[in-house]
Amino acid sequence: MDDKYSSNVISGGKLGRVDVPDAKLTRYVILLLVTKLLKAVGIFESYDLLKVVHIVQFLFILKLGCAVILLFFQKPFSSGKMVARTQWIKILKHAVISSVISLLGFFGLTLCGPLRTLLLFEHSDLVVICLLSVLFTNSGGGPSKTRGAAFFIIAVVCLLLFDNDDLMAKMAEHPEGHHDSALIHALYTGISFLGVADHKGGVVLLVLALCLKVAFHMHSRKLSVEIGGAKRLYALSNLVSSVVLLPWVIVLSATTENKVESWSSLALPFALVVFSIMILDFYVESICMAKLEMLRCARYGSTFLFLSGLLLANFWTHPLTDQLRAMSKHGQQAGTEHVLSGGVLVSACFFVMADGILSSPSKKGQKGTLVGYSPEGMPLYSLMGDALQHSSQSLPRFIKDSLKQILEEYDSRQIFYFLCLNLAFTFVELFYGVWTNSLGLISDGFHMLFDCSALVLGLFAALMTRWKATKIYSYGYGRVEILSGFINGLFLMVIAFFVFVESVSRLIDPPNINTVMLAPVSVGGLLVNLVGICAFSHAHSHGASRDGCSSHEHGHSHHGHGTGEHGHSHSHSHGGHGNSHGHGHSHNPGGRGMNANMRGVFLHVLADTMGSVGVIISTVLISQFGWLIADPICSLFIAALIFLSVIPLLKDACEVLLLRTPPEHEKNLNIALEKVQKIEGVLSYRDPHFWRHSASVIAGTIHLQIMSDVVEQRIIHQVTAVLKDAGINNLTVQVEKEAYFQHMSGLSTGFHDVLAMTQQMDSMKYYKDGTCIM
Amino acid sequence: MLPLSIKDDEYKPAKFNLLVKVSGWFRSILADKTSRNLFFFLCLNLSFAFVELLYGIWSNSLGLISDSFHMFFDCTALLAGLAASVISRWRSNDSFSYGYVRAEVLAGFVNGLFLIFTAFFIFSEGVERALEPPDVHHERLLPVSIAGLLVNLVGVFVFQHGGHGHSHGEEGHGHSHSLFNGSVGHGHSHGGHSHDHSHEAKHGHSGHDHGHDLGHGHSHGGHSHGGHSHDGHGHSHEEPHCHDDHLHTPGKGSSKQILQGVFLHIVADTLGSVGVIISAFLMQKYDLMIADPICSMLISILIGVSVVPLLRESIGILMQRTPPALDYALPECYQRVQQLQGVYNLQDPHFWTLCTDIYIGTLKLLVAPDADTRWILSQTHNIFTQAGVRQLYVQIDVAAM
Repeated sequence: MDDKYSSNVISGGKLGRVDVPDAKLTRYVILLLVTKLLKAVGIFESYDLLKVVHIVQFLFILKLGCAVILLFFQKPFSSGKMVARTQWIKILKHAVISSVISLLGFFGLTLCGPLRTLLLFEHSDLVVICLLSVLFTNSGGGPSKTRGAAFFIIAVVCLLLFDNDDLMAKMAEHPEGHHDSALIHALYTGISFLGVADHKGGVVLLVLALCLKVAFHMHSRKLSVEIGGAKRLYALSNLVSSVVLLPWVIVLSATTENKVESWSSLALPFALVVFSIMILDFYVESICMAKLEMLRCARYGSTFLFLSGLLLANFWTHPLTDQLRAMSKHGQQAGTEHVLSGGVLVSACFFVMADGILSSPSKKGQKGTLVGYSPEGMPLYSLMGDALQHSSQSLPRFIKDSLKQILEEYDSRQIFYFLCLNLAFTFVELFYGVWTNSLGLISDGFHMLFDCSALVLGLFAALMTRWKATKIYSYGYGRVEILSGFINGLFLMVIAFFVFVESVSRLIDPPNINTVMLAPVSVGGLLVNLVGICAFSHAHSHGASRDGCSSHEHGHSHHGHGTGEHGHSHSHSHGGHGNSHGHGHSHNPGGRGMNANMRGVFLHVLADTMGSVGVIISTVLISQFGWLIADPICSLFIAALIFLSVIPLLKDACEVLLLRTPPEHEKNLNIALEKVQKIEGVLSYRDPHFWRHSASVIAGTIHLQIMSDVVEQRIIHQVTAVLKDAGINNLTVQVEKEAYFQHMSGLSTGFHDVLAMTQQMDSMKYYKDGTCIM
Repeated sequence: MLPLSIKDDEYKPAKFNLLVKVSGWFRSILADKTSRNLFFFLCLNLSFAFVELLYGIWSNSLGLISDSFHMFFDCTALLAGLAASVISRWRSNDSFSYGYVRAEVLAGFVNGLFLIFTAFFIFSEGVERALEPPDVHHERLLPVSIAGLLVNLVGVFVFQHGGHGHSHGEEGHGHSHSLFNGSVGHGHSHGGHSHDHSHEAKHGHSGHDHGHDLGHGHSHGGHSHGGHSHDGHGHSHEEPHCHDDHLHTPGKGSSKQILQGVFLHIVADTLGSVGVIISAFLMQKYDLMIADPICSMLISILIGVSVVPLLRESIGILMQRTPPALDYALPECYQRVQQLQGVYNLQDPHFWTLCTDIYIGTLKLLVAPDADTRWILSQTHNIFTQAGVRQLYVQIDVAAM
């Protein structure tokens, strides 16, 4: 329904066209497909033709043939009103400009080959307009269009940079090969003036020509209305341009010798080209524009065109097709075909995506459902639900947001800066390695890149920790940082293990190390890592000093942490603040200045630093004293160090993950439990579970048995307060009065127990719950 | 009768005698089938690695030595699995109040991570080799990898069998794997009592009746349980199975995660050996030097893909995710709880997985001042037990007037 209405709106609100059945539309789509395939064939054929025929002659023949056929079909002179003199001048201008653009396009074809021309030149006007409006105006139409534009630009850049065409090298050898005219020569000099290779020049030329073509189409729209239809204008313009080109062709054929042996053999290809490119395409496109939506037409058309272009590029030079085209055999230039390179494939993919995105209908006003018509006859839409919400997150916006989030917090900011530094160093190393073609540097660079993954993990964890609790992760994502610390620790263990293994194998068989390039690189790495160590240990000392500081400041630092959990248990987290000042964290400054995540990252950086130091020391030893054994011993030592330094982290993380009672709170908890026991009215407690969920959340659950005559609420409050003193900030207290029965039924022990208990209770005839049990 | 906990001031671990401890470990390893399998396979693997190492040192072949170290590295996975299966059977103490059952999840996670690392290294090496094919000398490689393949095949067979046994066991202790299913499918097989009950509870009015009845019954003592028997009945059908579970799962120790992790690891090793053999064959016969890197890349991708579910699951458990098995059951339970008479609101529901199939939940109920808290408590427990939550902590807060 939506589609129908929106198509209706696009095509100018004519109601008569609403109920076009789908089957009819598919017919048009198939027609479009065939046309585009033929057009692709035509372009490939014309590329072959252009190898033998001069470009101006070619264009002249095309225009002339087209004009003749159109005169026959369209009868521009006999039908419609008379064309005024001023209009003739406009048509002349139109014709001149169109032939110039066609010249540019075909010249680009000779430079780039048919496939690349297809990819670059045959975009629908709509796509290009959309692209330009995204690029140069503010009202681009949302992030998806921006994405499409980015794809388009990537595709063009791919064609420019990553397309290694062998033919280009050949053509570069004789660039002056077939410049037979002043125009082409001018173009060539222009391109060489730009300082790019021909083929790249061709790409640029085609993009320019594409823009010109679109602008020209836009401007000629008014003229076509004046003349009386686009078809009439097309016919007239073709005629005029063939007339304009005629003198040039005559001059050309007079001055230059003709390369063509027999024009008769070229008649069939020319007919094909004229038919497929100039006439069929024009007619079918105009029909499809009218019947289908413009956007859909553009999308299908360009996609089909590109795909068929790719297909043809694969099979055009195939011997089978050569046999098929044997009757139109004319080319002797075997082996000068443009090859299908990876860059072209990639850019074709990007072009298809870009066209799909750019020609997809913009959301404004189209997702709404038609409600009815206003008294003035304007359609009314209701923009409900998805029309309003359906805005995909724009990528730059997302990056900006997450950057902001990263820079908000101290930890993640630290990691982020160090990550940037590390990455910069890595890329410098990689580029230098590629430049000097040193394999050692490149592999070291990749190693650094691999190390960066630990930093990325840490950063991600630091970001994720602050996510709000969801229904599924009901305690929040605070555990991510512990997991990340754990993973980093494991990672280091594995690395230490591999270093150990390698050093053992080197001990047995010391290899010859060339120490030339190694020293400066490792010094650079050492410097970078030292910065990291300073930054992270600064964080450490900072945190520790805060811990030792006055309780007020401490409360602040915890406030930042607690915000995640702030949301879901408001009162509790607040209480937690108040109490944690005095008590719980007197144990903290010892070892837990940082959370597990930061510790993991810190250890990683430390390990890297040790590695660099080891390399430097062993380099010195080797170059000074020739002790080849120094290297493996150093690595052994380093591996052991890494190993030892990681163990505490791993132990802590494991304890947290195994839901251990937090060691630093254990003593307090025991005292608190004693206090709970002594609260008036509490009989006993059962199943006390306390565990650390994340750095800021310690959860606890406990069952209390109380006497039946006390107020539950008071007990709950007292117990909560006592345990909060001990550092538990997410507590659930289950109060049971008739302890025994609740216990049995609640904890799903056996049926028989319940039965037995029931009988017992029957026999005891007790009325006061709970007390009897004691 | 009631287990009262009396705290010492400090918890002191018992002094241990190494010999006693080791023999205790042995006993506990050998007691369980899975850990026994793990242990024997570990021994097999270790001995193979030692033989390889010794032979490598004797023949001074670097390739063999590094391969044996690789085998040692593989053994860590087995070791982790074994350690976890032993540790997870330790009793809970004051520090680890839930016991050590989570060790199995952790072991699965560690194994998964190791596999990912291995896959990554293999992949990067494959890329490196694809760019610059090294001169592989395959005279010595083939016998070693065939021997490794044999060893690993033994492992695959044993653990598949074990897994099979495990699945048998699963069927035996039945409803552990599907406690949640147990409450649905089970309700079917044992008559629709639990179902009936739930239906009734949904009706506000009948729930009301029920509550009234119960409160009444209690004040009158024994008679109540007759009237209450409907509920008790539905409940009791549930219970024996849960009880069974409770005994079984820690006792069995053969958790899904450990086995899955170990099995994946062995399969990965087997794949690696197969890849080496195939590529050696291809290189020898057809001189396809590219076969080696392509094989290793394929294998690493296979490993990576197969590990992802394990990792995802164990990360979910470690991060206290709401159990996926309860995703659909919980909202219904919330609704039922909120429809209980006197319950105003339900706050802070936290549900998480302790280890395979043991779910723990806490929630807070805001109730009317005049509500019957005992009844609400027991009803809530019933509702969530039917959904498969093993331990539930309900804090009942009375709303202010």
